[in-house]
Amino acid sequence: MPLAPAELSRTDIEQDMSVDRPWITLVWNDPVNLMSYVTYVFQTYFGYSVEKAEKLMLDVHQKGKAVVSNGPREKMERDTEAMQGYGLWATLQKDD
Amino acid sequence: MATAFKRKGARFVARLDDDERGVVVGLLEQTHELLAPVPRERTGDPFEDLVSGLGLPRAKDLADDAFHGPRDPALERLLPSAHREDPGLAAEFRRLTEYGLRERKAANLVTAISALQDSDGDKVRLDQEQAQAMVVALTDVRLLLGERLGLRTDEDADALQGRLEAASQDDPQLYLAAYYDFLTWLQESLIQALMGM
Repeated sequence: MPLAPAELSRTDIEQDMSVDRPWITLVWNDPVNLMSYVTYVFQTYFGYSVEKAEKLMLDVHQKGKAVVSNGPREKMERDTEAMQGYGLWATLQKDD
Repeated sequence: MATAFKRKGARFVARLDDDERGVVVGLLEQTHELLAPVPRERTGDPFEDLVSGLGLPRAKDLADDAFHGPRDPALERLLPSAHREDPGLAAEFRRLTEYGLRERKAANLVTAISALQDSDGDKVRLDQEQAQAMVVALTDVRLLLGERLGLRTDEDADALQGRLEAASQDDPQLYLAAYYDFLTWLQESLIQALMGM
C-alpha cells in the first residue's frame, strides 16, 4: 500500500476534531510473555498498583485483551510504543 | 548447573557456566542482528541526512522492500502492527516509531550481552539498570524463539514440554525448545527478583 502521509494526517485531524472520543491502548494475549512479566511491565511503566496490574494481566490472559490506558491520541501512541518496547503486543484505537 | 537469579543487596545474581552463558549470548546476538536498525551512511544530501539523523525513514527507505514487502514473521511479532483495523494509521505509526524502537531494543540487547560477558567466572551480577535491560532482552529472544517454534496460542506453549520430551535427538527444534525453556526459567527468576518476591 503506498504511503500518503500528508493526506493521512489531514484526515486524522478532521476525524479527531469531529468525534470527541478518547483513544485507548490495548494489550493482547500472546503465548510467550509470562504472566509475572506482564504484571511487572504494567507496574513499572504505568505505575499501577500490584492489584490493578494483576487484574489487567488476568484480563489479557483470560479475555484475550485489556485496555491498559486511555486519553489523547498522542499519549496512546507513546504508551503503545512503550508497550511494544517491552515486547508486549500493543495496539491503539479510538474508543468505541 | 545454572542457578536462578536472586536479589543480593543492590545486585541480581545468577550462576551460569561457560556453555550456558555462551548459548544465551549467542541467542541475544542473533536477536540483535534481526532487530538492529540498518546503519545509515551519509547520502551527501543535507536534507536527507538531517531526516535520517532524526531517526525518520528517508525517501529512499520508503521505496525499499523492507518497508512494504513481506517481513520476517519474528520481526512482525517483535514490532507488531499498532492498528488492527487501519493499515494507513499502522503504516504511519511504524514510520514514526520503528527506527527508535529498534534502536532501543538493540541497545538493551547490547547491555545484556556485555553483562554476561563481564561475568565474574560463573557468577553473573547485574545492577538495577542491567537487570531491567536483561529482562526485556530475554523477552525479545523468547519472542523470536517462540515464533520459530510456531507458538501461536497458549495451548501451543503448554504443549511445548511434551514436544520437548517426545523429540528425537536429531530434531533441530529440540534445541530451540530446550533453549526457550531455559530462558523462560531464567527470565521468571529475574522478574521475581525485580519485583522483590
